[in-house]
Amino acid sequence: MAWSRKSAMFASLATALYLLGLVLRNSQLVTVAVVFLSFLTWAALRAAHADVAATGRRIDEEEDSEDAPTLASLSAMRKISAARIFEDGEIQVTLRLQNHSPLSKILEVKDTVPEVMRIKEGANYILMELGPRRETLIEYTVECPLRGFYTLGPVSIRVQDPFGLFHKEKEIHVYDDFLVFPKTEDLKEAFVKSRVPKIFTGAVNIRQPGEGSNFYNLREYIPGDPMRKVNWKAYARSGKMMVNEFERDAVSDIILIVDSRSISETGPVSRNSLVYSTRAAASLAQYFLSRRDSVGLVIYGSDINSVDRDTGKKQLYVLLTKLAGAAAKGNTPLQVVTNRIMPHINKGSPIIILSPLEGDPTLINAVRDFRAREFDVTVLSPSSLEFEFDAKRLDRTGYEVMKTERDILMTELRGLGAFVMDWEPDMLLSTALAGARGF
Amino acid sequence: MVAGKSADTAHLYEGKVMRAAAPSRKKLAGKMKAGGAEVPDDAVPKVHIPTFVESLFGGPLVPKMKFLPADRMVQTLQLIGGGLMMMLAVLTYLVTPADGTFWNGFALWMGFDALGQILHLVIVIAALGAGFFGIFRRDARGLLVSYVLFIVISLRFAASKDTFDTGVLSEVGEFWTKQLIVLYAVSLVMYMEVTNGIIRFSMLDTSIRTGEVYVMNVKKVLSRYHISLVVTPVIAAFVASCTLLINVIIPWFFEFFDKETSVRLSQSVELTSVYGVALGTMFVFILVATLFAANIPLRIQQWREAADD
Repeated sequence: MAWSRKSAMFASLATALYLLGLVLRNSQLVTVAVVFLSFLTWAALRAAHADVAATGRRIDEEEDSEDAPTLASLSAMRKISAARIFEDGEIQVTLRLQNHSPLSKILEVKDTVPEVMRIKEGANYILMELGPRRETLIEYTVECPLRGFYTLGPVSIRVQDPFGLFHKEKEIHVYDDFLVFPKTEDLKEAFVKSRVPKIFTGAVNIRQPGEGSNFYNLREYIPGDPMRKVNWKAYARSGKMMVNEFERDAVSDIILIVDSRSISETGPVSRNSLVYSTRAAASLAQYFLSRRDSVGLVIYGSDINSVDRDTGKKQLYVLLTKLAGAAAKGNTPLQVVTNRIMPHINKGSPIIILSPLEGDPTLINAVRDFRAREFDVTVLSPSSLEFEFDAKRLDRTGYEVMKTERDILMTELRGLGAFVMDWEPDMLLSTALAGARGF
Repeated sequence: MVAGKSADTAHLYEGKVMRAAAPSRKKLAGKMKAGGAEVPDDAVPKVHIPTFVESLFGGPLVPKMKFLPADRMVQTLQLIGGGLMMMLAVLTYLVTPADGTFWNGFALWMGFDALGQILHLVIVIAALGAGFFGIFRRDARGLLVSYVLFIVISLRFAASKDTFDTGVLSEVGEFWTKQLIVLYAVSLVMYMEVTNGIIRFSMLDTSIRTGEVYVMNVKKVLSRYHISLVVTPVIAAFVASCTLLINVIIPWFFEFFDKETSVRLSQSVELTSVYGVALGTMFVFILVATLFAANIPLRIQQWREAADD
């Protein structure tokens, strides 16, 4: 049984008045103290009737103890509408609370919801009277504005005396995990093509002759060419057997590199570089996988987390899960990442780096290394300066100075042959990509 | 890391030192002076540092929550609280005469005897004023002042039985005198509880109306509070009466064994004084402690559950 601040104050006052009454030989003071004590004692007696444990341990752990009859009388179950949703999505939660006891109870129930969530409908904090051997359903909807791994629970149940002097609390350890993926943008075109396609055919035509649907070139017939490829009109014009060549449709390896160093979280919680980077990476992954490319992911912060290249819907969920769990930590430089991954990726593959481009002196060297090995490097840089300036955390002078430094760095990267885009907040990803590729 | 080498990363990246943590842009914003730019308000996170009193009591004494207009339940409590306060003011004036108070002593020292009575009355009126402000404006500060004044007024030296005999209470018998004192004490405690309930239920009502809390079966929840408001003072009054009437109860108990001892006990100066009340308190609370030690509440519940099964 826990004391509230009110009961502690009442008890202190009662003790003080009692002692003062004895010292001053004042029976009124002693009487007031006695009434206070009786009041507290009665409330404590009522609270001791409560049907929950003061220890907050699990119901099943208490089966053998003397307190078991009072503990085993309440149980809770939770059902959630989805275990995986995208940012700004909603989850409907249904909490079923059962009273197995033949006695009625007045309970305060609070289902613990992660702090970043917003209760959109209903309430997770309920004061109720639960009848004997009855059950009730508590329904509420939470809105999930930020990506991540989240847990609902435990269910806290509190029983207190009517005056709020003493209470007993118990946590029913019912947990439900769910995952919030970064939200994605539908892309029509990413302007990224590989110069070193893989041997499998895919949905993207590349500027090389091969199996495909788009016309590429005419060439002279070589024995063995199928007759259906012969261009009869060209044969009639030139008198030579000519065949059509097509642009090769192929798949390529795409590597997404997301900077999740602690600096990438500079700015407001819902508007910072990491939030935008993960959303962009999710959108790009969805786009490239839909055109049957292989997509790999590297997230670097305190350490380097990578997902090997693969295709298909399963790969998309793997990537989204990794992106949902990306936390801003550490300060691993990009050079360490390039050194680690370069031996494992096909030379010339497109690499998309999503980084605020801050606090990393190895950045230029790392991009230079990629370019030296003919990788097609695209850098999308959500500017944390803009986020902070918009949030009025940065004044005009500071902003201008840092913006100039940033522009110089970007010019230097462009000089190395990388496609760089200063991605300002509210700019669509497709626009940023088009800008990076010079469209 | 190799022993003796510095903890930075200079030896790894061509002499460039990696920063161990993100640079503080907030710090930079704080240092900037050019162009008369001021530090933005939200550049420094606002952290509430509890005052000495708050840290002593474990939180703010007065909640800063703004209440919505009072609902019916709160209005009822306000009326009950106001009524209780009026009754308490009258009882306080009756039960605690000015004799023996600091201000009465000061008035006697000044040679202006009536001043003691005037100051006594002023304190009662001030307690009423602060109470009314606290109750109807739902301001815990007013209530706190009112509680303090109602307690201060009963702080008297030499407030033994003799003092009562010269006051209004000399008109009634010992039993009714004690009942009046019990009524005063119960009123004081209930006044504190009801006025506290006004703040508590205002907070609850505001939370309900803003959707923070949902209450299922409000009537049953409130009826439990109403019942407690009636039952608890009766029980508290009974326990207090038992302790105050110890000089009657103990001789009555001994009368079954030895009449002479009973008469002696009834004439005992200690039993009829404030020490008798202390003895009574001890007896009553030893009994209560025994109930708790035997875990009676739990056993009663087990018995009730078993009976219902």
